[in-house]
Amino acid sequence: MRELTYREAVRDALSRALRADDRVFLMGEDIAEMGGSMGVTQGLLAEFGPERVRNTPISEMAIVGAGIGAAIQGMRPIVEIMYQDFLPLSMEQIVTQAAKPRTMSGGQLSVPLTIRTQGGAGWSPGAQHAQQLESWFTHVPGLKVVFPSTPEDVRGLLWSSIYDDNPVVFFEHRTLYPLKGAVPDELEPIPLGKARIHREGEDVTVVAIGRLVHEALRAAEEAEQEGISVEVVDPRTLLPLDEEAIVASVRKTTRCVTAHEAVTRGGFGAELAAVIQHGAFDYLDAPIERVGARFTPLPFAPVLEEWCVPHAADVLAAIRRTVGRHGD
Amino acid sequence: MAKVAGKPHTGRTGLSDERLRELFREMVLVRRFEEKVEERFRAGDLAGFLHVAIGQEACASGVCAALEPDDVIASTHRAHGHTLARGTHPNAVMAELYGKVEGCSGGYGGSMHLYDVTRGNLGANAVVGGGLAGIVGAALAFKLRGERRVAVAFFGDGATNTGAFHESLNLAQLWDVPALFVLEDNGWAESTPAAQHIPVDDLCKRAAAYGMKAVEADGQDLERVYEAAAGARAHAVSGKGPVLVHLRTFRLAGHYVGDPQIYRDKDEVRRLRETKDPLAKLRARLELSDSEVEALEREIEAIVEGSVAFAKAGTDPKPEDALKWVYA
Amino acid sequence: MATEVRLPRLGQGMEAGTIVRWLKAEGEPVRKGEPLYELDTDKVTQEVEAEANGILLAILVREGEAAVGTLVAQIGEAGEEVSAAPAPAVEAPPKPEPAPPAETAPPPSPEPPLEPRAARVKASPLARRLARERGVELDGVRGTGPEGRVVAEDVALAAAGPRPPATPVLAPAAEAEVVPLSQTRKTIARRLTEAWQAPVFQLSVSADMTRALVLREQLVARAAEGEIKPTVNDVLTKLAAAALVRHPAVNAHFAGEAIHRFRSAHVGIAVAAPNGLVVPVIRDADRRPLAEIAAARADLVARARAGKLSLADLADGTFTISNLGMFGVEKFTAVLNPPQAAILAVGSIEERPVVVAGQLVVRPLMHMTLTCDHRAIDGADGAEFLRTLRELLEEPGLAL
Repeated sequence: MRELTYREAVRDALSRALRADDRVFLMGEDIAEMGGSMGVTQGLLAEFGPERVRNTPISEMAIVGAGIGAAIQGMRPIVEIMYQDFLPLSMEQIVTQAAKPRTMSGGQLSVPLTIRTQGGAGWSPGAQHAQQLESWFTHVPGLKVVFPSTPEDVRGLLWSSIYDDNPVVFFEHRTLYPLKGAVPDELEPIPLGKARIHREGEDVTVVAIGRLVHEALRAAEEAEQEGISVEVVDPRTLLPLDEEAIVASVRKTTRCVTAHEAVTRGGFGAELAAVIQHGAFDYLDAPIERVGARFTPLPFAPVLEEWCVPHAADVLAAIRRTVGRHGD
Repeated sequence: MAKVAGKPHTGRTGLSDERLRELFREMVLVRRFEEKVEERFRAGDLAGFLHVAIGQEACASGVCAALEPDDVIASTHRAHGHTLARGTHPNAVMAELYGKVEGCSGGYGGSMHLYDVTRGNLGANAVVGGGLAGIVGAALAFKLRGERRVAVAFFGDGATNTGAFHESLNLAQLWDVPALFVLEDNGWAESTPAAQHIPVDDLCKRAAAYGMKAVEADGQDLERVYEAAAGARAHAVSGKGPVLVHLRTFRLAGHYVGDPQIYRDKDEVRRLRETKDPLAKLRARLELSDSEVEALEREIEAIVEGSVAFAKAGTDPKPEDALKWVYA
Repeated sequence: MATEVRLPRLGQGMEAGTIVRWLKAEGEPVRKGEPLYELDTDKVTQEVEAEANGILLAILVREGEAAVGTLVAQIGEAGEEVSAAPAPAVEAPPKPEPAPPAETAPPPSPEPPLEPRAARVKASPLARRLARERGVELDGVRGTGPEGRVVAEDVALAAAGPRPPATPVLAPAAEAEVVPLSQTRKTIARRLTEAWQAPVFQLSVSADMTRALVLREQLVARAAEGEIKPTVNDVLTKLAAAALVRHPAVNAHFAGEAIHRFRSAHVGIAVAAPNGLVVPVIRDADRRPLAEIAAARADLVARARAGKLSLADLADGTFTISNLGMFGVEKFTAVLNPPQAAILAVGSIEERPVVVAGQLVVRPLMHMTLTCDHRAIDGADGAEFLRTLRELLEEPGLAL
């Protein structure tokens, strides 16, 4: 085992793919000399050259569309959308031109495109640079949606996304880039659609994604002190979702909290709650609690942002509510 | 880059008379096929909605005649002509319109999503401008792999206003990819005449804006279309970059089947039918006799009727197969 | 042969149109492509062109609404026969049948009348399921969840229903220590009141424990280092289980609408725990060897005393044994542990004089009282079970 940061882990997967496979190439804004706005692709231009590490104009539609066209022709392009706030600029290409041709053509082609993007609050970027939109894409048949939270997961899942024959929207989280974690010496692909149990527990299951996985683990430590045993599950892939593992966990603990940095309403926690209540209806001893951001465009002032965005304390409060009693 | 205007023609294109006759036959097939589609729609046989290419046959046949088998095309909502000109059998097209398994998209696509990947047809697209960026990507893939192939996008004047058009032309020219942007300029975006949506008098300027080569031709003259397309293909495939092929054409029917064209002067439509019919033009050019044409028409009628019979006798897809192609 | 002129479908979603006027008269020649009539769709009025050359032989729908596909005219050669009366203009949709007069249906065949409920009980889905499975009436359960919601633990407590000792303890009023009822105690009180309302009868018997005690000593002597030493109670548990499977009428629950008779004997052992009596269950006591039963008993009792029993430990009992012999109580009557239909109260083993084969001898006798819910168990069933149990205690080899 060795240690890599989440950022290095992404870069590791990209460079291994570029090295091993001529079909792989990257397109995105500022990914070449600058190495990407988040520094993820640093060094790749030097090793692989400008034909395979391509700076693009500011043309999200064309970036994604060109990726689609090349993928249909048998390449394995990985396109980067600098901030997920810019995904809406290319929505038609993602939602229609990537996700639907396989069905519309009756199976004549596939679109093995990977769209990498990132986002995350905590640095007062204001409303246009901090959105978390992963749930939108889970609503589109034909897409796959991945959102890893650790270096090992991000590396293994990015590799599997590149080699998945479907269009994958791959979410990274800004604040996780410097996070260090153990990774196997050799890249081990992690299959899409498999959840990971970070911590086992008996009293309540917290299903968390992205940055909130780590907040949930912090909350679980504190809850332990109060005698509440918390199980933390990270779906890692949102579409396809590991419903079996998640439902099994809630059947065991009988209580559930969902947690993500995205706005609560219409967030992925809503889909999780629906799946869980259906699969574990007779096992639920409390309503499912959802933790997420407040329902507002993210305000700028640090005190406002802090209040709007969820943290470990919010997860802990939700945990307490699930085990709560009359008069608590 | 300079714009190359269509030269006044006196001589031959390099297409033999025999080839021209084949192309005439093809255009008659497209015309009669489209008329049959209109008739069958009025009779209530066909679901969804349809857009026929009556009047624009020379654009489809002329351009496709200039392509090689492993070139690829992406079409628009007005796709039957392109699809037939690219070699898909009328039976397969009609069966698709009837929603049958024997259709070229297996019944999954319909009129606006006709695909025939083995014949290089990457699909008709209902979103105006939707397929352009994908063509840039396909051309990029050819370039990266050193293949002598072109990717061709068909679109109309309405599409030249979309962001997708501008981003795609910009990127294609920037990266010198072997793409052809075939603009079938019929002066109408559904019910909106060019004067109401285009502020420039000459759409070739839109290529000039990106430094892209443009060629123009009379879209009703098959030989001129062929010439322009062949020249453009040679330019692109030799690595000199993409080309806008501006074809001035006329839509001799409504935007969609059943469109009463209340926004259009009926006398003007009649006049265009009389003076701007590409079939009449090529027939005159080939000096075909009445009896030759009648014989051909009878042959085509049999084929078209046959396609309807084929389609009607086709197999409905099984409902449980609806989810078959969602993921690769 | 005449060409049919049918109302065309001019747009997707068009189901019908209205013929406004004919532009040609019957008998007039028409050419293909000439406007024939004006049609009003919901979007626009437009001219419909003739699709054939010939004479307009007949106009079949002169004006008004017609469905798409309706035959509206015929074009053909002069003098041709026109086909018979066509489909008329679209009919008004048939009037809905008048609703059948509301019948006063007789009420459904008598179910036992439902208890009237003032309001729906708030209970978690898990609590509801547990209540269903254990035959616990939810509206009798006090909820400790938010807003008084009944949660699983409340149902488990209700189902486990510990009993107070049979003899109440009275304290002098002036010096009474006032102990407010805890939630647990409230639950116990409520459940016992409920149990008290069952129509019960008691049967008593004394068993000669000579052979059982000898057996027990042998087992203790043979117990390996570290193995739990079986007690007389363990032997009793095992033999009671054996008797229960022979008399399933007593190994039963009264579940309101039905009696559930169980094939396995899950024997509950009453244990004094810090918060009150609890009844952990030894599952499948009929099938498990005595050593396992002893080990299970030891574990459950230890955990009960430490307050660490789980829901699973308290679940699914089919019969309960309550033993106050260690306190010197010779005999007593236990209160039922609903939904179980029977409970055995066991007293201390006392040396007593008995007559055996005409001779006066001294034997260790143990008094047992079986309380039965008469709604589920008849006197004969209870008596037969008790007789079997006594026989097994007096001659354990008969359990083989």
